[in-house]
Amino acid sequence: MPDVQSLVIEFVLKLKKRKVEGSQATARQTAVLLRSVISQQRIGYTNQAGALIDAVKAVGEQLVAANPVELAVGNIVRRVLHIIREEDLSLTTAAMAGLNLSAVSDDDDDNDQDDHPVLSAAAVAAAARSTLRPPSLQTLLEDMPDPAAVPHTSSSGGDSEEKSKSADKSSRSRKLKHDVIEAVNELIEDIDTCHEQIAEQAVEHIHHNEVILTLGSSRTVLEFLYAAKEKKRSFRVFVAEGAPRYQGHLLAKELVARGLQTTLITDSAVFAMISRVNMVIVGAHAVMANGGVIAPVGLNMVALAAQRHAVPFVVLAGSHKLCPLYPHNPEVLLNELRSPSELLDFGEFSDCMDFGSGSGSPLIHVVNPTFDYVPPKLVSLFITDTGGHNPSYMYRLIADYYSADDLVLQRKAAASN
Amino acid sequence: MWRRSASFILDKRNDTGARPDFVSLSPPQTTASTMADTLQNPNAKVSAYYQTRAAHHGVVTSDWLAQAQAAVGKYSPESDVRSSSSAAADPGSGKPFSVIDEFNNWRKQPDLAEAVAAIRALAAVIRSSEATTMMELEIELKKASDSLKSWDTTSISLTAGCDLFMRYVTRTSALEYEDFNSAKSRLIERAEKFGEISYKARRIIAMLSQDFIFDGCTILVHGFSRVVLEVLKTAAQNKKLFRVLCTEGRPDRTGLRLSNELAKLDVPVKLLIDSAVAYSMDEIDMVFVGADGVVESGGIINMMGTYQIALVAHSMNKPVYVAAESYKFARLYPLDQKDMAPALRPIDFGVPIPSKVEVETSARDYTPPQYLTLLFTDLGVLTPSVVSDELIQLYL
Repeated sequence: MPDVQSLVIEFVLKLKKRKVEGSQATARQTAVLLRSVISQQRIGYTNQAGALIDAVKAVGEQLVAANPVELAVGNIVRRVLHIIREEDLSLTTAAMAGLNLSAVSDDDDDNDQDDHPVLSAAAVAAAARSTLRPPSLQTLLEDMPDPAAVPHTSSSGGDSEEKSKSADKSSRSRKLKHDVIEAVNELIEDIDTCHEQIAEQAVEHIHHNEVILTLGSSRTVLEFLYAAKEKKRSFRVFVAEGAPRYQGHLLAKELVARGLQTTLITDSAVFAMISRVNMVIVGAHAVMANGGVIAPVGLNMVALAAQRHAVPFVVLAGSHKLCPLYPHNPEVLLNELRSPSELLDFGEFSDCMDFGSGSGSPLIHVVNPTFDYVPPKLVSLFITDTGGHNPSYMYRLIADYYSADDLVLQRKAAASN
Repeated sequence: MWRRSASFILDKRNDTGARPDFVSLSPPQTTASTMADTLQNPNAKVSAYYQTRAAHHGVVTSDWLAQAQAAVGKYSPESDVRSSSSAAADPGSGKPFSVIDEFNNWRKQPDLAEAVAAIRALAAVIRSSEATTMMELEIELKKASDSLKSWDTTSISLTAGCDLFMRYVTRTSALEYEDFNSAKSRLIERAEKFGEISYKARRIIAMLSQDFIFDGCTILVHGFSRVVLEVLKTAAQNKKLFRVLCTEGRPDRTGLRLSNELAKLDVPVKLLIDSAVAYSMDEIDMVFVGADGVVESGGIINMMGTYQIALVAHSMNKPVYVAAESYKFARLYPLDQKDMAPALRPIDFGVPIPSKVEVETSARDYTPPQYLTLLFTDLGVLTPSVVSDELIQLYL
């Protein structure tokens, strides 16, 4: 499949050169790319899910390595892996139920039946399902699902059934691929519409005559505020400009164009203004498993100011931003340093940035980090497409969206890089 | 257990004067656990759990080898008594089988976690059982686990281990499809495997925590914990560069043992007296502690001194990480320090203490969840609030 390979390489280059930006765009493109990987993947009769998972994982590792800071890529790869596992499981359960009936019917003339008791379909399905679940106290003492049990049950059918079964299997493989692609399409649709779903909840949170503060620009926040305005709420918005990229200017312009009462302030004025604010609403780059937030630089300061004045700090995040990893040293490891040209004008500062002068290294250093880490205790509420959640509840959402196997594998791959 | 309901003076009077009252209230409890009656813990005043810990992890003299020999010498008469009693309890010798002796036998092995010993003891109950139905076996096991639990109420992992195994016996769907004998052998097999599970859990925790130990960091540890040692050992094997500060861990001085083990691994280690924690906190990057038990609120019960370390670390914004196997999760919800059955340990002050002076001999304290950053368990890296979720899933 040279076609897919070239697509992958193209996307990897884009990620490396930071040509795609914003977690939504990245998430969407990753999902689209993985969909084509799946549709092009040729799969045999046995272990189709395994082949798909391997293919997606191989591509996923390349993508994650290309830009490890863009956590949305890893999130989508894990989501797709989870989808494959789930679809495979539901198909196996269905097939197992059918097979078991036939196995029981011709059980009497089956002489290779050893002392191993045939588990009922329900038991096998339960065992298989437990592999999808994250490990829990419940499964601590239970048997690891016996891999030998499954082939045994499926091979207990007589020879006469062999032909019909192979036909059944090929249709099953096609069905698996079809189902997975369908589910990935749903995922892409979810990513596209997560703004609307989050914005739908706006009226529950924004009330009449309130003052909302936000920093920088986020499409989710824009839609959220606009949705409240649509529902005839009148409120004012303070926009901190979000230096050094000044995306707050763009947001202010958009808000005014949509008829919202807007005040633009500098980042350094946040603390002075926060006492008049009823609620801080911001977007995020990623939400970590402990409820911490990777957000545009400057937000930790806003969160601290909000905490000082007991102003609710609300973070809007689509479910593709939920990252199942725990942050360790996030200020450094999950950060990215951007070009100094955003901070200062090269023409004016060219003298002090000159490597040739004096000691050999320039006297001025410019550090321009992209992200801040906001610890979970500063966040009052997360609003995702599934509703509002407490920071301590994030792990539960993550358990719903990802399977435990994928977290570990991905982490190992990341460590080896 | 509301021991300090009114004032402690009233409590004391109750202890001495109003004893008959108390007894007349308690009969339902004593009849419920008949086996416990016959096998009352001889010295219930002292926590057996912490005695064992001290025996396994404590350092008595400064010379390691000499003290190891001394420990062997010191404890041999007692262990002889125990082993002879357990030999007597062997089912073959005709005397009645005692789950407590079995448990004590297992517990003596320094490498075995308390919960593993409990589950092994319950497995021995199954093996020697003459029950012919699942129901009979369950009742027998319930009796045995109750007597074990009441024999040493201070050991949280004993209680948690018993509860976990009982839950497995009563609720596992896999057992329903089998006849009695294969179910019985399956139970025994799982119980035997539990030691392996416990070891694997420690390995998983060590792997999970590696991401959090970065080069050049300084780690404070308190007392001796097998899991924490495993974590640090793995980090040393992964060629991480880090420094460890060990507290002394009075009164058992288990910290000395840990520093000894770390020195063997060539990890730079520094010993602190327990009161030097706040003094050294500013050079520390993270605190690593084990746990005797993880309670439903997500807080931990651990060796005395953990609470104050967590408080100091919290006030200086240092992360506190707990390494604990998931079978230490217990269905307890202590509201304050005195809210648990007291686990007492005699403390040797070196000089005679006047009889009028009271000595605080409690061996453990409770650290509330707001002072803990993350828990490393074999179920994954958890925030404290996840613990109750796991427990609810298991028992409801």
